[in-house]
Amino acid sequence: MNSNEVEILLVDDSQDDVDLTLHALRAENLANRVFIARDGEEALDFLFCTGPHAGRSFENPPKLVLLDLKMPKVDGMEVLKQVKSDPRTRSIPVVLMTSSKEERDMVSGYNLGVNSYLQKPVDFDQFRKMVKLIGLYWLVTNQPSVNAGGTAQLAKHTQ
Amino acid sequence: MSSSAVKLGIENTAGPKPKLRALLVEDNALDAELVLRELRKKSFDVSAVIVQDEAGFAEALRTHLPEVVLADYNLPNWKGMEVLNALRRQNLDIPMILVSGALGDVTAVECIKQGVTDYVLKDSLARLPEVVRRALQEKYERSLRQQAEKDLAKKVDELARSNADLEQFAYIASHDLQEPLRMVAAYTQLLSERYRGKLDENADKFIGYASEGALRMQVLIQDLLAFSRVGRASASYTSVDCNAVVEEVRKTLGPAIQESGAVMSHADLPTVWADRTQMTQVFQNLTGNAIKFRGEKPLIVSIKAEKGGEDWLFSVTDNGIGISPEFAENIFVVFQRLHTRTEYPGNGIGLAICKKIIERSGGRIWVESQAGSGSTFKFTLPLLEPAVKEAMRP
Amino acid sequence: MKASHEVLIVDDNPADVTLTREALAGSAHMSQISNVQDGVEALAFLYRLGNYTQAPRPDLVILDLNLPKRGGLSVLAAMKAAPELRRIPVVIFSTSQLSQDIARSYELGANCYVSKPGNLKDFFSTMKSIEQFWFGSATLPPRGEQIKP
Repeated sequence: MNSNEVEILLVDDSQDDVDLTLHALRAENLANRVFIARDGEEALDFLFCTGPHAGRSFENPPKLVLLDLKMPKVDGMEVLKQVKSDPRTRSIPVVLMTSSKEERDMVSGYNLGVNSYLQKPVDFDQFRKMVKLIGLYWLVTNQPSVNAGGTAQLAKHTQ
Repeated sequence: MSSSAVKLGIENTAGPKPKLRALLVEDNALDAELVLRELRKKSFDVSAVIVQDEAGFAEALRTHLPEVVLADYNLPNWKGMEVLNALRRQNLDIPMILVSGALGDVTAVECIKQGVTDYVLKDSLARLPEVVRRALQEKYERSLRQQAEKDLAKKVDELARSNADLEQFAYIASHDLQEPLRMVAAYTQLLSERYRGKLDENADKFIGYASEGALRMQVLIQDLLAFSRVGRASASYTSVDCNAVVEEVRKTLGPAIQESGAVMSHADLPTVWADRTQMTQVFQNLTGNAIKFRGEKPLIVSIKAEKGGEDWLFSVTDNGIGISPEFAENIFVVFQRLHTRTEYPGNGIGLAICKKIIERSGGRIWVESQAGSGSTFKFTLPLLEPAVKEAMRP
Repeated sequence: MKASHEVLIVDDNPADVTLTREALAGSAHMSQISNVQDGVEALAFLYRLGNYTQAPRPDLVILDLNLPKRGGLSVLAAMKAAPELRRIPVVIFSTSQLSQDIARSYELGANCYVSKPGNLKDFFSTMKSIEQFWFGSATLPPRGEQIKP
């Protein structure tokens, strides 16, 4: 998959959670354009087209960043701060999805401009349902900023 | 003016001679006299001004506005060729004829190359009237041509503006119509759902008709918008690999292809100079139609391209229900349909859009088909390299 | 979650507001819906000024762009610039498909941009998706006074 065709950037250091998320997305046929970053540093390289991702373009952002909070190297809040304070990346929908129950974290997240904040359910099944709803909402109902949906609009017109 | 002079194909010995305003640049009074006499003998009613230098020339140009300039090649203060420059500097298209003593052939040809209309030697003045006449004729024809070009440019401009107006009208009409229509569609549907069976039986039917009508109108307007957008949107032309486009179409139409069991194949297709989105629309519409109008046989759609003289010739062939030749042109007209809505859905705008796109890209589109034996839709697009070269021209 | 959510719909088209109410009425989550019809009223409501001193703090704002007096983008900008309002999720809900409207909305901090569907079925399913996500999955910021981060 061309790194310029990624629809979802999944940022999480927990292999279990990544597997679960992919599984849930796959059931909705949303899994084929997911890129996984294991920590905040990799996520930032991806979104800012630096380091190993220097070949990426700002013109093709993902439609959604699913961001965990507690990660090594650079944590989710720092990623959020950088993404939302740079005009080149500010418009990318970022959804914090964390096991943290700290209200403080949630408030900070919304203050920094996170598009949405969700708490990971402990229950396996609830987790899957949540990912399904996230996928449907942010990839189908929501309209992202860049016109990556050009072809989608085209498809509507061909009856 | 000198149109009367021009209309004289022959010397007019009877009747009034055509008027001619001449400007002579000559320092020798006798020579000047000889020139004028030659012109007046049988041909022209000349009103002349004679000057000897640049200042006099400039003044005379302003006050006399000559139809022809006759200049000596070798004047003490001013060279004959500089007369030409003086005329050019003021953007005046007045024929200039050199009237000179011995002038080598080389010099003569040089002068004409530089823009002198003609030359006459002083010992062959008899030629002069004919030379003048010819010069005036050419000037007249030139001015006719320039006027025609100006008229054409004006018409092209008007046409462009009229087209732009029409397209803008179509866009605004469709765009602004959508809002109230959305209300009608949504609420007739809501009425239909909420009150089904609760009012009398006619109510259900009436509301149903209103609702269907509104929904159909929504699709019609969206189609119209799509059609008008082909002209409005500034197409961005690049080199487009048609193989990639067809693959994309195959993906987009995936569900429909699967459902119909169609087999879609394409030969190696060329790269063309076009707008990528529009090319996608063309292939998508043609393929979509093939799927929609398939017959009993399992559907086979194949796409290929061959190089003609100056174009690529694309063909999209299917083994569907086909089209009777008498309708072959009709189907490309906006909203023209050959079947009822219950037989086949759709508004009949897909082909109109294809036609608009192809023609704007410099090609033609048509269909070869018989009812019952499939159709081949063909269209041409200019070859890549000449098209790119044309596009790169400043 | 049986607690009721406060929704502020900023839209001057009563037909659309009614449709939204109808759509939300059928949902599993309870919501109290307030409606204001222009941008000036919207900010008065949010700042609890004038007639709106008793107005509830919304959990979610559904914001149309085409509004009289003060447009949706302007309201959005004001909300996201105000420390006490910026955390409230804003769903832009508009018929506009213009890329500049979408881009500008995100630049100003809209949480999401949803296109108003043209037909009833899609309108209802879109509303359902919105309320399922925001009331069913997302954790919404607390309504009370802001917690110092």
